[in-house]
Amino acid sequence: MKTENHAWERLREHAASQISPGFPDRVLRAARAAASPLLISHLAMCAATAAVCLVAVALYDARISGDEDATNIAGWGEIAAQASDLEQGL
Amino acid sequence: MDESSTTSLGDRVRRAQRGDEVALRELIVAYQHRVAGFTYAITGRSDSVEDIVQMVFVKMARAIARLKAPEQFEPWLFRLARNTCIDHLRRQKLRRIFIPFAPEHENVPEPSGAVDTEELDALRHALAQLRPKDRALLALVQEGRSHAEIAETFKTSVAAVKARLHRAREQLRQHYHSDEN
Repeated sequence: MKTENHAWERLREHAASQISPGFPDRVLRAARAAASPLLISHLAMCAATAAVCLVAVALYDARISGDEDATNIAGWGEIAAQASDLEQGL
Repeated sequence: MDESSTTSLGDRVRRAQRGDEVALRELIVAYQHRVAGFTYAITGRSDSVEDIVQMVFVKMARAIARLKAPEQFEPWLFRLARNTCIDHLRRQKLRRIFIPFAPEHENVPEPSGAVDTEELDALRHALAQLRPKDRALLALVQEGRSHAEIAETFKTSVAAVKARLHRAREQLRQHYHSDEN
């Protein structure tokens, strides 16, 4: 047990020696660098999603109202033709 | 840890939570070597220790504001370190599935001079025979974490921690002494 404890102590010392000088500053720089692109990419993703949704809604709306217009025009055309026939018959 | 050091740790954590970089730096300086030892015990590779420890502290810096109880900083940090190590080992395993290594590239030994004593080498080899979760368990005990804290980290009961710890210690002892002989 004692030898094992000594080995654990050596393990900790060896691991600690792997941390090179200036480590805390490198971590802080990495944390800053990691934070900003994440925020920017997050905002970019939100903007892209919103744009895709808007385009989809606009396309759907244009298609639906286009179909409705065509149906209405066809209906009015039919009514106009019937009215004209009726006028000629009178 | 005495009351005054707990208070100063709590103060540092609270300052770091408010975005004070000096406090954040002090926390990194205070824990970098302990987290390195913990990481090495789980991963067994000294050449990746610094990278993993950096990942742990970057995660800490980004998540510390969400830590609800500053006095729970230490168990929280070691939980973060444990999860980072397990993720690292999982990614390594996955990478080996998709990019199979040639037999000569499997189990590449530590760089020469990296392991300078037989007893450390024996412990490292004995730890490598255990499951990563058992290595994490033993490393948490070495870090002085209580059974209750470990149970919280592993999301299990204190009795289960005691049983697993007993088994892990036995296995480690067997492998350690067989490596020594």
